[in-house]
Amino acid sequence: MTATLLAEWVKLGRSRFFFGTLAAVVSVAALGAILTMLSVGRSDYDGVVVTATTMSRPDGVMQGLEAVSILLGVVGLAVTAAVIGADYTHGTLRNQLMAQPYRLRLLLGKCLALVAFVAVMIAAATVVAVAASFAIAPVRGVDTSAWHSVAGLAEIGKGYVNVLASSLGYATLGLLVGVVFRSPAAAVSVGLAYALPLEMLVSRIWSPAASWLPARLMDAMAAGARGYQVGYETAGIRILVFCAAAIAITLVLFARRDVTS
Amino acid sequence: MTAETPARPLRIRRGSRRQARMDLPQPPADTAIWSQGLTKCYGTRRSVDKIDIHVPVGALSGFVGPNGAGKTTTLRMLLGLIRPSAGHGFVLGHPIERPAGYLSRVGAMIEGPTFHPGLTGRANLRLLARLRRLGPDRVAETLSMVGLTSRADDRFTSYSLGMKQRLGIAAALLPRPELLVLDEPTNGLDPAGIREIRSLLKDLAGGRMTVFVSSHLLSEVEQICDHLVMIRDGQLLFQGHVTELLAAEDPRLILTPEHPGDAARLAALLCDHGLRVDPPEESSNGSVSVHAPEGTAANLNKIAMNAGIALRALSACRPTLEETFLVATGGVDGDLIPRSRSSPDTSTGLLIAGAAASNASGRSS
Repeated sequence: MTATLLAEWVKLGRSRFFFGTLAAVVSVAALGAILTMLSVGRSDYDGVVVTATTMSRPDGVMQGLEAVSILLGVVGLAVTAAVIGADYTHGTLRNQLMAQPYRLRLLLGKCLALVAFVAVMIAAATVVAVAASFAIAPVRGVDTSAWHSVAGLAEIGKGYVNVLASSLGYATLGLLVGVVFRSPAAAVSVGLAYALPLEMLVSRIWSPAASWLPARLMDAMAAGARGYQVGYETAGIRILVFCAAAIAITLVLFARRDVTS
Repeated sequence: MTAETPARPLRIRRGSRRQARMDLPQPPADTAIWSQGLTKCYGTRRSVDKIDIHVPVGALSGFVGPNGAGKTTTLRMLLGLIRPSAGHGFVLGHPIERPAGYLSRVGAMIEGPTFHPGLTGRANLRLLARLRRLGPDRVAETLSMVGLTSRADDRFTSYSLGMKQRLGIAAALLPRPELLVLDEPTNGLDPAGIREIRSLLKDLAGGRMTVFVSSHLLSEVEQICDHLVMIRDGQLLFQGHVTELLAAEDPRLILTPEHPGDAARLAALLCDHGLRVDPPEESSNGSVSVHAPEGTAANLNKIAMNAGIALRALSACRPTLEETFLVATGGVDGDLIPRSRSSPDTSTGLLIAGAAASNASGRSS
């Protein structure tokens, strides 16, 4: 397992890919934190007025990261779908299967490497978002003393776990479409089209769907379910069920399907 | 989570799987690749149709057929990438349904060199070496074997086709394989590159490695292989040693009278002696082509002399593998340019079942 993880890391760790993704992720995180702090005194995109008082609470430090969690999820989906799909289109999966004929072991190693990659990216995003929040808060008159407290540190940890769980949920969707479509372009476009416009439209037309659609549940998870119809635990359980189903389909397809590309 | 991939035997019901395994045929001990009735269907189309392959251990075997004959599909089945629709196969004594049993001792390059374009040659090999639990020393060693050390740290996309092929061979050599399977390894190479690969394969086969090389270029296979498996339309045409195939071809002798005007008389004379003579061609310059083995040359010379015909030249004409292949396949493959031949009815029926006879030519030796 370690061997397959380290092998996959050769691809994920190449500088252009790693630092390119890192730059995108930290830019998004910084943007989220800065815009969230600058929105103090104004209404956010949901029409809720953002005040310095609410931002001063211990969970205020993670508001910026949570605001862009959907974009971080998109990065998780796109990276996973592209990496898995590219193995088929480049034909590199053939070589890998000849070197590691236990297909499930190979897939698990790939998944662990992708989990590690996403975890590192979200960690970097968290650090940048927190740092940017601390930097901008005084400008907008937000008191940061609660952010330094134990409760504040706990919120940072919880926020990281929530955003990571959400991003890994998106990555699971990316894994599924990568194996189903066997092409990075098709996998990324179909994955994004489903997770963003399709689910958003469905949940806007019929609001109860937001409590059941996977991507909407992942958004709820990233925000700790604050302001969502569905509860945190319920969202977590439903996400786990969806991910288990997606992983089961992926495993069957990866293990049983002929490798012809 | 460590369940085997595999390609389990199809058409075997769960309850009878154990019995089916007990009924598996056992390959002879001296075969590196062995199959019986190996078949792959895509819908109603049979890409590979009941192929029985026997490649001896230590052979440098050529796997030949026109494009679309089913070579790559067969190789994919042998390497556990696709599941056979029917039949059995064994590689290095292990059933192809369980590729984990033998792939650690097999190196392969299928459908050309496929690597990650954004990685260097060395990083691509390092990825595969890690999967096989091999160290960086082995990567450096294989890069050196194929002469890529100086360009190992360049991106794969910057490689020429020849360099890509060599990297593919390096990847196949990583596990120090007992069996090396290469699919069209000289594709796109310049003559110097082809010579290099040829020499490398000969060296590898000399080291007791079994080498199975697929190609649609028979001239290529003829020069490097001592054993041959020929397929067409998914069916086996011939397998055995190259010399067997060449010996089965219709050998001819070319007799050239001193005076071109004697050609017709000489042809009639040889016919009278019960020999099969090809109709004269405009381009034959008065030569007479007779179907007879090289050992009869002295007798033919005597026949001509006794009839008062002096011969300017007498040469044996041995068919090439390519000519044999063209006879067998009808010369339909676009990659092969059929040459004209005077004899339309050459038969290779001894070894090549159902082969159409046409369009073959000869080679003087």
